[in-house]
Amino acid sequence: MTKVLRQIALVSGKDLRIEARSRQTLGLVVVLGVLIVVVLGLGLGPQQVASGMAATAVLWVAYLFGGVLCFEKTMAVERHDGALAGLMLAPIDRGVIYAGKLISNLALMVALALVVTPVAVVMFGFDLSASPFGFAAIMAGGFVGFAAVGTLFAAAVSSTRLQGGLLAMVVFPLSLPLVIASTQMMARLFGEGEPLGSVGLTVLIAFDAVYLVVSWLVFELILEP
Amino acid sequence: MTAITAESIMPLADAVPGTASPAVAMRRLSKRYDERWVLRDITLDVPMGSYLALLGANGAGKSTLLHTLAMLSPATRGGLCLFGESAARPSPALRARLGMIGHQPMLYRDLSAAENLIFFGKLYDVSRPKQRALDMLERVGLADRAQSVVKTFSRGMTQRLSIARALMHAPELLLADEPFSGLDVPSVRAVSALLSELHADGKTVILTNHDVRQSLELAQRVVVLRQGGVVSDRPVLDADAEEVTREVIG
Amino acid sequence: MNTLKKKIWTAYWLATAAMFAAAVAMVFAWTPTEATMGTVQKVFYLHMPVAINTFLACMVTFIASIGYLWQRRQVWDDLAASSAKVAVLLCSIVLLTGMIWGHSAWGQWWTWSPRLTFSLVLWLLYVAYLVIRPSIESRQRRALVSSVYGVVAFLDVPLVYLSVKLMPDIHPSSIALAPEMKLTLLSCFVPVTMLAAGLIAARFHLQRAETLSMQEADDPSLDVIPVRPAGGLT
Repeated sequence: MTKVLRQIALVSGKDLRIEARSRQTLGLVVVLGVLIVVVLGLGLGPQQVASGMAATAVLWVAYLFGGVLCFEKTMAVERHDGALAGLMLAPIDRGVIYAGKLISNLALMVALALVVTPVAVVMFGFDLSASPFGFAAIMAGGFVGFAAVGTLFAAAVSSTRLQGGLLAMVVFPLSLPLVIASTQMMARLFGEGEPLGSVGLTVLIAFDAVYLVVSWLVFELILEP
Repeated sequence: MTAITAESIMPLADAVPGTASPAVAMRRLSKRYDERWVLRDITLDVPMGSYLALLGANGAGKSTLLHTLAMLSPATRGGLCLFGESAARPSPALRARLGMIGHQPMLYRDLSAAENLIFFGKLYDVSRPKQRALDMLERVGLADRAQSVVKTFSRGMTQRLSIARALMHAPELLLADEPFSGLDVPSVRAVSALLSELHADGKTVILTNHDVRQSLELAQRVVVLRQGGVVSDRPVLDADAEEVTREVIG
Repeated sequence: MNTLKKKIWTAYWLATAAMFAAAVAMVFAWTPTEATMGTVQKVFYLHMPVAINTFLACMVTFIASIGYLWQRRQVWDDLAASSAKVAVLLCSIVLLTGMIWGHSAWGQWWTWSPRLTFSLVLWLLYVAYLVIRPSIESRQRRALVSSVYGVVAFLDVPLVYLSVKLMPDIHPSSIALAPEMKLTLLSCFVPVTMLAAGLIAARFHLQRAETLSMQEADDPSLDVIPVRPAGGLT
């Protein structure tokens, strides 16, 4: 067990080291996220923005687009120079590759959220103080499910040539229930002041469990150098 | 053309009794990609410690065959055993026994030479990966560039580093896909010397190549593929360069 | 197709058409008109059976996708693609009839009610399936990506259901039906299901013919390759 954990840490540690060195992905994703927030803020105009609730939807748009870019980039690292084949030759379980990539993606998305969320909160006057932990819990639940599907399909799609739009086309519809659930929970939490009950959390955990288990099972089948 | 003998298409279980198992045993191995068969009924045994060259024109199926042997993608039909173990659901231990040099270097271009080797060494659970990485860099003549990032390397240097990566865990079987392509003369010499050294150490080497003469000098046995099927299989001693070339061209 | 097959096929479609006619006659001539909604309520007899069949078609795609992942045979992918097409068609009907209903019940063509949202998300899921396919060139790769998608999309369905449950609801959750209405519903269900199954079969047949015409023979042996003139490079 510790061996598997060590291998996972090795794979995603390598990703994060490459990212720390080139800072390509994070710079791109953060700026894109801020741009999306600004564009939507301008587009919605002062009246809509003042309601505050628009912020959760705007944030999701930023996370979705930024996330897809993260998935593509972390997989591109493996595609370049056939490094993925090197990884696949190694005596490690395919699940280790999946888990490693998932953790790298989640790390990038958390970094993205740490920058973009405050920007949106300030610009949209969204009052987080009612339940900051509830907000974090809902977003974390959403991220895990989204990254689980994204990591899976990034591996499936990037061995085909048409990448850019395709990955988004695949991942967005599949992530819709996550978006619906989390925005609805946010509306209850901040709009109506209902506390985040165990039901809400269970739904999110159920989502993540389904996405994670299926992706983990299928990943082995779709991985090709 | 060497006829396929009756023994060679026997079921795998009979052909591979325990310890005397060949490094690679293929039985009617076929692979379809999209609408085309890219490998057709390949039956071959590669005994341990042999040095085999796979020849063939572009698109003859050499690279596909090596990929299949490396267990990177499954065959559509037929059986494959490595060291007597089925490749259908390979154990990690089986993967650890083979190394591969592809026509892509399989390295991370943003990491340094040493970092790449240490990363792969750790994946293979090599003991003292740092020391091993430095030794390997020494062996392929890149010791002075250990800390340089791979994307600054020339084609020849990348290829040598790629070989170091493939040998980090001292594999018993080395698969080399066109290891000489795009290399200058000194690099070709260095790489072929490395391969011969491995063979002298008792390792099994399978390489694909399109240079017939060079293959006849290096290997013990040459197998010619055409349109995904084996058209000839003979020891180098019996092979005539002209004739093999004719077989390659078809 | 041989003549017997053709005959059975014709008989099948004739039967479906006849049952449709009977069902329509029942809906308009025999079943009592609902008190509050009036004639528009009758769209329900189409809406509900089609909705159930949408789900069944999605399930066929799901099962075929698993089949492909299991066996890697093109047949499964052909089946998955065929039933996904039918699923999208049926789901479009569900959405349209749902909107017609909604317009007369609530006076709006679209409301973000849980069920309408559910149908919309389901429709989007499978429309995406259909548009993703042609953008992947390699047949094998396409089959692989679509089958993974087909599996995840179907598992998404209960999740979509769970998540729309969180939305405020105005949709009728259970409808009290007169016995005649139940019988009519049943009599509509049969031809709709036959239509759905027939469409999937027809689509599958076409797809199969196309695949087989493109594919090399099933026998991989070298002997089947025609001998080319010597000296030519591949």
